[in-house]
Amino acid sequence: MEKHTFVITEKPDAARRIALALDAEEKPQKLTENRMPYYVARREREIVVVPALGHLYTVAPEKNERSQYPTFNYRWVPRHLAEKNAHQIRAWLEAISKLAQNADEFIDACDYDIEGSIIGYNILKHACGGKEREAKRMKYSTLTKEELEKSYDTLLPHLDFALIEAGLARHEVDWLYGINLSRALTTAAKNYSGKYATLSTGRVQGPALKFIAERERRIKSFVPTPNWRIRAHIEIDGQIFEAQYEKEKIETRKEAQEVQNACIGKNGQVDEVETKQFRQLPPVPFDLGLLQSEAYRLFGYMPKRTATIAQRLYLDALISYPRTSSQKLPPTINYKTILKDLSAIPEYRKLAQDLLTQPTLKPTQGSKDDPAHPAIYPTGKLPQRELDRYEKNILDLVVRRFMAAFAESATKQSVKITIKIGDKNFYLKGMHVLKMGWLHYCESYVKDQETTLPSLTEGQIITAKSVKADEKFTNPLPKHNPSSLLKKMETANIGTKATRADIIQTLYDRRYIQDERINVTDLGYEILEVLEKYCSTIVSVAFTKELEQRMSDIQTHSGKREDLLASTIETLKPVLEQLKQNEQAIGEILTEALRKTRTEERTIGTCLNCKTGKLVILYSRKTGKRFAGCTNFFKNQCKTSFPLPQKGTVKPLARTCSRCGWPMIQLRIKGRRPWTTCLNLKCPSKEERDKHVKVQNMR
Amino acid sequence: MLKCKICDKEAVENGYCKSHGKAYENVMKTYSEWSKALEITWKEYLSKIAENPLTGEWAKEVAQHLTRNEE
Repeated sequence: MEKHTFVITEKPDAARRIALALDAEEKPQKLTENRMPYYVARREREIVVVPALGHLYTVAPEKNERSQYPTFNYRWVPRHLAEKNAHQIRAWLEAISKLAQNADEFIDACDYDIEGSIIGYNILKHACGGKEREAKRMKYSTLTKEELEKSYDTLLPHLDFALIEAGLARHEVDWLYGINLSRALTTAAKNYSGKYATLSTGRVQGPALKFIAERERRIKSFVPTPNWRIRAHIEIDGQIFEAQYEKEKIETRKEAQEVQNACIGKNGQVDEVETKQFRQLPPVPFDLGLLQSEAYRLFGYMPKRTATIAQRLYLDALISYPRTSSQKLPPTINYKTILKDLSAIPEYRKLAQDLLTQPTLKPTQGSKDDPAHPAIYPTGKLPQRELDRYEKNILDLVVRRFMAAFAESATKQSVKITIKIGDKNFYLKGMHVLKMGWLHYCESYVKDQETTLPSLTEGQIITAKSVKADEKFTNPLPKHNPSSLLKKMETANIGTKATRADIIQTLYDRRYIQDERINVTDLGYEILEVLEKYCSTIVSVAFTKELEQRMSDIQTHSGKREDLLASTIETLKPVLEQLKQNEQAIGEILTEALRKTRTEERTIGTCLNCKTGKLVILYSRKTGKRFAGCTNFFKNQCKTSFPLPQKGTVKPLARTCSRCGWPMIQLRIKGRRPWTTCLNLKCPSKEERDKHVKVQNMR
Repeated sequence: MLKCKICDKEAVENGYCKSHGKAYENVMKTYSEWSKALEITWKEYLSKIAENPLTGEWAKEVAQHLTRNEE
């Protein structure tokens, strides 16, 4: 191979896009080396575009002593040397090294953020023979041809070493916390019970779990207080309207009754009609957190899922880089071109054309900024493949939010009519949209706030049909859901935009939390209690926040990686000592919590035959097959049992069948949709379904 | 180790564990508001909060425990 330019990218899709953009004829050659696909593009010279597979290097202990802690000596190694299922990485790295041999120019084209910078840096340093100092950097926010070409023509002279230092420090600090604390917990449980179970915690995982647990503790300790709300039903032109008493909440039953009695049998009179106009500004452009929060509110997508979908849309060059903290759209992205491109898409044509008629295009900007990338925006390009409905939803959300940012404010009018019943004031409130403005662009995504009131004049007499005092109670705080937790982590500044969603997922995977309205499991509580008791610093939000700040300081040259790592080790040493000293007590607590969790996971529900036993998942000693049996069988009191599917995972649903009353389960088999059913094979719903299938087959 | 009056955990204050202790505090604190609002006795209050679906699990356990002890 002749001398060439070597370009490293983060993923195979990105490599393809970059090669396509850089090849003079848009026909790069696709080749393979050691089963790794790569591309050769021809411009003024040959450009070899090589993909990584995300991180190819990771932090690992210097000596591989499993379950030993404390361990403070580490090094960066190829992932296949540290992880079980990473065999592919070896061949990939060999291929990269071979292709780098004849290169005389090196370019890092990985995503321009902390993770991307480390991926590129490690490959250039370890697999390309120390080329990290001479490599140049491509910086782009979309994978469109125009931006990639521009980025290639205006290369940054070197890598962003401050960003790399901050990234390396983040990985190393996280590794030091993660490996040592997780090993301490796992070892304590294993030494006590003799059974191995992975128990993990980390620098951000602990405080995140604490957020949920603290909220749940408040809910579980909550005592409601009573109050009364008084409403009058008023008849106007044959229609009934509900007016609220001027005092929103009344604290005693006696006062509520007095107000009610004072209104009985009296008519109402319109005392005052007040109208107010106000403007509602367009929403700010999406950063990743806002997109995740909206996608959860509108479509119920978990934050991690939204991030994955957005990443796919980015790799298809349909939206800009999604892992951004910015809520600003700079003019350099060329608003006009994007809107022109969007106007070629039938469903956005009219909306985009309306914006293009404005004399100037000035978007509403949010307060947050990101030095590396702008807010998320659509490229205006058409999809080159059929998008699934999830991708379509996220893309539509991004497109509409982008357009809304350029639209005018909405103008609304609020109406407040004061009605006197006896000497008591009641309010009738309405809202009317005078000018849609930006609401027009997001009509399907905003709640209908229109409440039209009849036109009334001051002094008009109206009939009060009834006046009621409703007893209400104060409500506990709502439970956290994945979206509110993500927001909380963002506000508290723990974790990064790229890692928060993954951390929440890990809490689910480790069985510390469950359900969409998040509940902390017994295991989660015990882990947290152990951490709070023996190493409270680790779960302290203030401490984690300070650590985040110190990591950011490295990026701005106000802190050093070595200093941060040294102080991390100094913090961890006494903590780990304390955990080791109390290993027996911790092991006992965790073993009991693990036992409870395992029992809970196996318990399907109450046995309807004996009414006292529990149906649990059991395995036959003879055949090894899985079935559901009553716990009273072991007391010779009940022989109820049900067969269970032998493949996949059975998850008890903690609810009963509406037709037969037996507990429900969900069966999950990889690659198939989850199947929800009750245990009862003779359930009327199953018989009906069988009949229906028979009729269908006969037809 | 002194155990919590309700669960098996270690008692830290008033004979309750950390979780039930916080709930006990809330049960005690909120009575004045209920008493003012409904003019009810302590016993009636405990029975009302034990039945209320908005009362938290631990607060309910405390209310039930206090009711049993009053009888």
